[in-house]
Amino acid sequence: MHPSHRQFADTALNYMKQNNSPQKNAALELLTCSQESKLITHLNACVHCGLCATSCMYFTALNEEKYIPANKVDLVASIYRRYCTTTGKIFPLLTKARELDEEMILEMIDSLFGGCTLCGRCVKHCSIGVDIPFVIRTGRRMISAMERVPASLEATINSALETGNNMGIPTEEFVDTLQWMEEELQEELEDNNACIPLDQKDKDILYTLNPREPKFFPLSISAMAKIFYAANERWTLSTKMYDITNYAYFSGNNEQAALIATRLADEMRALSCKKLILGECGHGSRAIRWEAPNYLKKSFDFEMETVIEYLGRLIRTNRIQIDRSINTKIYTIHDPCNISRHGGLMEELRFVVKTCVNQVVEMNPHGNDAYCCGGGGGALAMSEYNERRLKIGKLKAEQIRKTGAQVVITPCHNCVDQLTQLNHTYKLGIQIKTLAELIADALVIK
Amino acid sequence: MEWYIWIVSLSLGICVLYFLILLCKMLGHGKPKDFAQFKGKVSQGVWYANTKAMSPHNKESAYLHLPTYISGMIYHLGTFVSLLYLIVFLLFKYTETILFFSQPLLIAIGWGLCLSSLCGFGLLIKRALNPNLKKISNLDDYISNLLTSLFQFFLALNFLLILNDIYFTLAASALLLYMPVGKLKHVLYYFFARFHLGYFYGSRGVWPQCKHSSKQ
Repeated sequence: MHPSHRQFADTALNYMKQNNSPQKNAALELLTCSQESKLITHLNACVHCGLCATSCMYFTALNEEKYIPANKVDLVASIYRRYCTTTGKIFPLLTKARELDEEMILEMIDSLFGGCTLCGRCVKHCSIGVDIPFVIRTGRRMISAMERVPASLEATINSALETGNNMGIPTEEFVDTLQWMEEELQEELEDNNACIPLDQKDKDILYTLNPREPKFFPLSISAMAKIFYAANERWTLSTKMYDITNYAYFSGNNEQAALIATRLADEMRALSCKKLILGECGHGSRAIRWEAPNYLKKSFDFEMETVIEYLGRLIRTNRIQIDRSINTKIYTIHDPCNISRHGGLMEELRFVVKTCVNQVVEMNPHGNDAYCCGGGGGALAMSEYNERRLKIGKLKAEQIRKTGAQVVITPCHNCVDQLTQLNHTYKLGIQIKTLAELIADALVIK
Repeated sequence: MEWYIWIVSLSLGICVLYFLILLCKMLGHGKPKDFAQFKGKVSQGVWYANTKAMSPHNKESAYLHLPTYISGMIYHLGTFVSLLYLIVFLLFKYTETILFFSQPLLIAIGWGLCLSSLCGFGLLIKRALNPNLKKISNLDDYISNLLTSLFQFFLALNFLLILNDIYFTLAASALLLYMPVGKLKHVLYYFFARFHLGYFYGSRGVWPQCKHSSKQ
């Protein structure tokens, strides 16, 4: 650190320590000790033009000022100004620089956890280019440092840390479910060699799941197993660490996020598999593919790709054959934010879907501009905000209704869950399918 | 040399020095540290972030709010023209050369700045009246907007009414001295924000969209 920076940070820290609890100090240190150009830039760049308002589904659906993305950014930025800028220290009123007091903390919890899905739609439309979810996640990190993360989200993370999966599924139950699915698969394919391999070493692929699959949607596992069978793939699942999700990414606790990612990486090495395939989970894919190396401060020493890229490659190399005439309904695609907007897979997702169906009607807007389903950013795990989550989901529900589609395809089990609830709440009368389920339906097995 | 020339020169010096230090500090923080394996190219992402991603049809903040967007663009153009003129004006003052503009050009710039300052005042009024904007605004937002608009307005009057230089130079001094205080620092942070955005989306193959092939 540059000496002048250190001096400045030390002064700020001393000021804080005299007035705050250790938790608050830890939260403030995330701002005061930051020498990260990206954070400093985005905390200083917002000009409060307010043009981001309509790009946020919370503001559009609920029409309350507190949901304007600029307002959410300002919660964090105003603390930064109060503790880290000369103007904010001397004339806090001039720039509305605010103390990190109880009122502020409650506001932050409500707006940063309960009023944002970290979908990032506002970023594209921001007139400056402020990375709003990045700032909001910094705010979540501060809340996490103060141990004030909403209880339901914390419980989900604890479950993942204690049991190895966020739904706390016991290993016996998981194995039973997979054996049942394997029997079904063998019956469907009339081949006793069709299997769902568990804990096998030296395979080409270690596949990961969202725990919602063994718990609520086991057919999506057998659909993927059918694809692996058709592609004659050498693959395995781990019974110890199959969970792709990482809710600590949402809570802002980087230490916990790193621990969860490390376990998956360790299992990959223990089973000596060649490639990690990230299952159909948007945030899980993002957390391990893009974020985990930064929590761990090192690149992974194994290959990985998302299931969308993997399936696209199977199709391009003719390792699987698809008969699209089987999928005769009208389909639409829901882009998971972490897959399309934050993962660069918008076109690849469409390539796979359009290979499998005859008729796709796009939502408006879609792709990198798509609205979140409303369940992202940990919203599905935070029961405190259930009512709000379903209200903002109306936007997505109406988008789907306008397409006239009978089936919504989405490669994310979080989105599947939220869309299922929207389907029920807004009586859409649609089917929701994952990519594996769509392909499995149209798969030609010789 | 007139006293107000000294004042505006000093203000400009302080402002430039502040932003140079800020620039050095920001550059000193270095490039973002990202350990993930990149899928796209950062350079292409940064280029995209500053070109295609900025086009009005790609931004709701532009096409859904056209009057505000156009006002903002004119206002910013007016600010840059005014600052450029101030620098040229000072250069000519110090070299004791007579600054000559043809009469039609003088009038055109004058009316242009009149329009841009009106856009500035319009945005200021919008901020004061729109409840959503009021909620997210602070005193600094109003002061920044007012000082920038006044600078352009007095310069416009200087062109159109051949007003004494004292008015626009004092308005410029106030603006230049205020720039390091608040949100006007976005004149620098804007470029860093676009860089970071381009870096982020470029590395992930979002800007521009990464093409996939059968190869791994």
